[in-house]
Parts: sequence; C-alpha cells; structure tokens
Amino acid sequence: MNDVILEVQHLEKKFGDNTVLRDINFEVSAGEVISIIGSSGSGKSTLLRCLNLLEEPTSGNILYRDQSILEGHFSPTKYRTKIGMVFQQFNLFKNMNALKNCTIGQTKILNRSQKEAEEIALKNLERVGMDPYIDARPHQLSGGQQQRVAIARALSMNPDILLFDEPTSALDPETVGEVLETMRLLAEKGLTMVVVTHEMAFARDVSSRIMFMDEGVMVESGPPEQVINHPEHERTKTFLKRYLSENTTH
Amino acid sequence: MEKRILKYCFSVIFSFLAFFSIFYSFPFIVNAQENNDDLDLINSGLEEEGVLTVGMEANYAPFNWSQASPSGGAIEIDNSPGEYANGYDVQMAAKLAEELGLELKIVKLEWDGLPPALESGMIDAIIAGMSPTPERKREIAFSDSYYESDMVLVVNKDSQYAKATSLADFDGARVTAQLNTFHYELIDQIPNVDQQTAMESFPTMISSVLSDKTDAYVSERPGALAAVASNSDLTFVTFDEGEGFETDDVDTSVAVGLRLDSPLIAPINEALANISQDTRDQLMEDMVELNEQGESKGFWSDVRNIWSTYSHQFFVGARNTIIIAFISTLVGFLIGLLIAIYRTIPMNKKRKPIRYAFYKFFEFLIIAYIEIFRGTPMMVQAMMIFYGSKLFFNIDLSSMVAALIIVSINTGAYLTEVIRGGIIGVDPGQSEAAKAIGMNHFQSMTTVILPQAIRNTLPALGNEFVVNIKDTSVLNVIAVTELFFITRSAAGSTYKTFQTFFIASVLYFVMTFIATRLLILLEKYMGGANSYTMHKSSTTMAINIKKGADK
Repeated sequence: MNDVILEVQHLEKKFGDNTVLRDINFEVSAGEVISIIGSSGSGKSTLLRCLNLLEEPTSGNILYRDQSILEGHFSPTKYRTKIGMVFQQFNLFKNMNALKNCTIGQTKILNRSQKEAEEIALKNLERVGMDPYIDARPHQLSGGQQQRVAIARALSMNPDILLFDEPTSALDPETVGEVLETMRLLAEKGLTMVVVTHEMAFARDVSSRIMFMDEGVMVESGPPEQVINHPEHERTKTFLKRYLSENTTH
Repeated sequence: MEKRILKYCFSVIFSFLAFFSIFYSFPFIVNAQENNDDLDLINSGLEEEGVLTVGMEANYAPFNWSQASPSGGAIEIDNSPGEYANGYDVQMAAKLAEELGLELKIVKLEWDGLPPALESGMIDAIIAGMSPTPERKREIAFSDSYYESDMVLVVNKDSQYAKATSLADFDGARVTAQLNTFHYELIDQIPNVDQQTAMESFPTMISSVLSDKTDAYVSERPGALAAVASNSDLTFVTFDEGEGFETDDVDTSVAVGLRLDSPLIAPINEALANISQDTRDQLMEDMVELNEQGESKGFWSDVRNIWSTYSHQFFVGARNTIIIAFISTLVGFLIGLLIAIYRTIPMNKKRKPIRYAFYKFFEFLIIAYIEIFRGTPMMVQAMMIFYGSKLFFNIDLSSMVAALIIVSINTGAYLTEVIRGGIIGVDPGQSEAAKAIGMNHFQSMTTVILPQAIRNTLPALGNEFVVNIKDTSVLNVIAVTELFFITRSAAGSTYKTFQTFFIASVLYFVMTFIATRLLILLEKYMGGANSYTMHKSSTTMAINIKKGADK
C-alpha cells in the first residue's frame, strides 16, 4: 500500500485573521478509505475543499502524485477531474436530467463521445441503483436518490479519489441508509475515498483510517478500532463520549 | 401659430446642436459667395441637389395631415411609404418647389423633432404651420409669412354666444384655450371673463364646448374651420377690425423655417411674393373642404371609418412597433447577457495584476454605459443619437436603424442588471459542482449557470418586451413610423382623437397580450417536462447498452 496519490504538507488555511486549519499533514494512498470526524466548525469540510482547490490553501503544500498542485502552471480544472466531489447538498445540475448530469462532464471535459459517455454513465447509475431514473430531473427525486445520482456523476469522471463532504447530513433519516450502503459497496470495490462524516458506524465499519479534527488541528489519526475504542488524546475521548451519547438518544 | 413651448430638456439639446451647426454650415456660405449662378446658390442650401426636403408633422389639419391615398393632390411621405401628406402646407410647399424649379420631398417628423432635423441637415425647410416667434428666430431663419390668420372663438351653434360680434358680448362666458400658447393669454382681453384652466389639445377643447363645460375656446381661423367641418354642432365667432383680440402679427402668421444664413431665404421670399392673398385664402378654403370628414354618425361609426381609411397605416405602425420591440429586446438581452457574464468572471488581483487592471477598466466603461442609459430618458437618447450622428459624424441613419440601436442599447442597460441578478440567484452549489468535475468558468456558465439564470430571468424579459412595445411610442421624435406616430397622424388629420386612440389602444393591448401569452408558453417549455419515464431495470436500454459494452 505504498501508492501515494495525495500528500498534504503543513497545510494552513486562514479566512481573514481566522485560522481554520493549522499544520495539517497526511497522505492518501490508493485503495484507502479515510473518514474525517470532528465536531462542527473543526475545519473538516474546509480541509476537504482544499484537497480539490475549491478553497485555496494559505500556506503549506499539496502534492498530487509527487507534483505540487499549488504551483502557478498547474491547471486546477484538469486536476479536479481526477478528484471527484460529492456535496452535502448534492448540487445536481438542476437544468439536466439524471443521465445528462452524469454525461455532461465526460463530453465537455474528457471529450468522450456522447455514446461512450452514456454507456459509462449508465454503468455508474446502475452501480448506485439509479438506472431506472435516467430521465428524471433533480427536483423529481428524493434526497437519497439525488445523492446517489451525484455519486454516479462523480464516478463517471473516473476519479483517482472521491471526496465526500458530509454526504448524508442533509438527508431524511430513512434515506441515509441507501447512500451509506452505496458508499460501502464502492469502498469494497477498492475506490479511494476521503469522507467527512458524522456517521460513526460507517467510519468504524468501512474506513481503513479515521482522522479526528478539532479546532483546525489534526488531533489523532489511525485505524478505526484504535481511534474509536482506544483514543489517545483527551479531546478525542471527550468528542466520542459526547457524540456517542447524543446519538443513542435519537 | 404657436402650439407648444419647447420643453426645457429639448432646448438644451437644441442649443447644443445649433452651436455646432455654425461650423457645419460655414463651407456652404463660402461656396455660395463664389457662385453667382442662382441654381448653384439654391443647391448649396440643399442637402440633396435639386430636391427640396420639407419637414412637417402631417397631423395638424388643415395645414398638414396624412391620408392613405394620393387623392386631392397629396404627396407621398418619403419616410413612410404608402402614406400621403396633404394640406395647406403641402400645397404651399409644392408651389414653392415649382417656383424654385426643385423636386419636392416630404418628411414626416414629430413637432419637437423638426428644429434638430433642420439643423442637422435631414430636412431643408420646415413648412409646418410654424410661427416665427422671437425664441425660435434665435435658432431658425424664417421666410416672410405664407399665411396670416385671425383669432376667433369656437362656440356651440345653439349657444347665446353664437351671434356675438365683439369681445364684450362674451361678458361672463367660460372661455379656455390651449396650454402653453399665446391663445390663453388673449382670454384676459375679454371683459369679466370666467377664465377656465388651459387644455392640452384642440380635440379636448372641442369635447369641452360640445358638452357645455365651457362656452368657448380661442382658436385661429383655420383650426376653427376644421373643427366646425367635422363637428356640425359647432360654429365660430369672428370679429370685425377693432372688435376682436389684439394680437402680434408674429403670433398669427406662419412662415417657412430655414437654417440660419440659408441661401434659400431670398429665393423663397421671391417665390412667396408671387402667390397672392386671394390664392392663399382660396387654397386654405379648399383644404378645409377637402379634409371635411362628414357628419359624425356616432362613435362606432367613426371608429369604423377611421379604421377603413387608415387600417393599412395602422398595420404598418403595429408591425414596425413589434419588429422594433422584438429585435431590440433580443439584442438587448444578448448585450445584457455578455456584460453579465463578463462581470461574473472571477478575477484574482494578486495572481494576474495586469489582467485585473484591464478587467477593471472595461468594467468601468460598462458601468458608465449602464448608468448613462438607465439615467437618461430614451426620448433624449433618441434625439442625441439620431440627430447627433448626422450632425457630428455625417452618418445618415435611417429612423428604423436608429430606433433599433437606441432601444437595443437601452434594453441592454436594463437587462444587464436583471441577468446579473439571475446569475447571482442560481444556487452557488451549482457552480461549485461544475467546478468540482473540472469545468472552467466558461463551461460552467454556458452549460449549468446560464440555462438556469435565463430561465429565472424570463419573466423580467417578458416584462421588458411588453415595456418596449409601449415605449417605442417615444420614438416618434425621430420619425419612426411606429404605431403611436401613425395614430397621431390619423388623429390630427381627422380631428377625431378619441376614436383614433381607441383603435391604437386596442392594437397595443392585442400586441402585449399575445406577447405575454407566448412568453408564458416559452417559460413552460424551458421548465422541462413535468413527468419522467421510469425505466424498468430488466428491460432498460441501460441493460442493453451494458451488455453491448461487455462484449
């Protein structure tokens, strides 16, 4: 497991005078499923958004296959086709049906033919169980269905890594399961994923590594059983305690 | 025959244009002095050699009116094919052209558009029942008068004042006159008069007298003749010398308006001297008779008559109105779209400072454009662009082209902000998602953001189209033959204002109503289908394609 795709070095991000990320260091290797946990406002989503340059880091470096993505000549648009993103609010293109959502990037950016793009899109829609809905527009689908189409859209670009930004937070409780199940299947197939999530069960059962963040700092990182069952740091313990007790009351 | 005091804003433009015209006409003066030949002298005062181009309103019967056929010696209007001008002014213009050995061309213009058209060289002379008042004389040279009139009072045929012979007989009468004319000041000369509020137009004064709200209104003889001819319940009271109003000759005479220092002044005065007073009186009587509309048989009958006479003109006007509104809304929309896209380009000051500076410079120009065209009336823009382009750059825009340009850039200035609002209104997640799959700004704009933004701005776009249909009416100042201009011609020619404007309002309503319905259909179409087809997993093409791909 030494095929490193992304390497984050001393990453720092400031919004004005407010530092939201401090000295973040980690690697993402092929086939890894990384869950980033932590309370709201701890900088998880900002970190994820820095990885595909939706946010520009203030300092530090990010290497994609040993090449810095922050250098002037590096094209962020081309890089982003390699790093897929699934949003909390799905963000399906509202003016297109499910199929078109999955083909538009392929034909416009990867220059695939319409036919090829449709084949790939259909394959991915089938993977997420949304192939019966290719004609539906986003507003005609439930949240869970929209999120599954969004996953198929990202997969259709054949990314090296798929980033998930709290993919189930905006969903009704009854549709959370179908999205998590889809993600679990993808993980089993060996897709490299970085997931910002509040779903502890998913983090524990599916990921190969859990990273805990607090106030912009990466506090703890390691295999799930270690971080969840034997946390080393006090902050991690406090968070897990509060989080697990809160979740059981629901 | 003063009709209206020029509006303040107009006079500003006017003096501006007049100032530059001094430079403009200078070469002609030099040219004229070098040539002693009469014809060369005359031609030097003409825009087009051998042709006398005369401007008038064609809606001020019996001086000038428009009609649908060339009958009665009418002359086709140069800028409105199929429409003919006739009246005392037209016949007088024809006589003058004949005397000078020139061909005659009639151009129809709105009253306020006449002086700038003369200054800019679009027309060579104004023959439009215009009085040589001192204010006008500062900007326009006038010939000797070609008609002199006396002041009369128009009354109801059955009223006690119908048999009056002196102003004293109008003791205690309710009298009115047209707003912003010297007529209104004359009312003071009537002893113990009950002066009424001034009114906007002759047709409203006619209605007021007919309905006994006022007893009399002040008018010049030709206007009174025409009013009586089309309203048999009216008559007018004339006064013997010394019994009637005391007036200035300047006010009651009309003259040919020419450019200051125009070489045409002397030849035209010579030609006028050859037309006797008797000929003039006879011509005026003939014209009043020719314009007589017959007795009114009721409102609907009048509407029918006006429609059957002017229907072709109305259709042409409505067609032009729609063409201008449609093309201009479309072009304005494209202008707005381009600018809105430009203004949403992400710019990084730190990364690309030179590009950023250029960007800011063009953005400044764009903001100037938006502010200027939103902040000035379209009528003023029309005057500036239409006459200014001729005066300063000698570009002779046709009215229609000028109209399309003016309404387009005006619409563009308004829609820019509307479309920018539409773009801002699209969920930011949409552009993030587009970015995240690797689209650049242009791709995300064209495939994701704009289709949604345009859909959201369609209601405002429809609004703008309807506004444009109505707002083209201000273009009559540059003589675009749109519906409002045609309506004014027909109303001024028939003296049946309400009936004519009734037809116009129906036409405007039909146009805007249909336009609105079509836009609603377009909105529905762009919204996409309401339902979708479910593809069963076992039978979908999805499966078939997959199987095909697996082979």
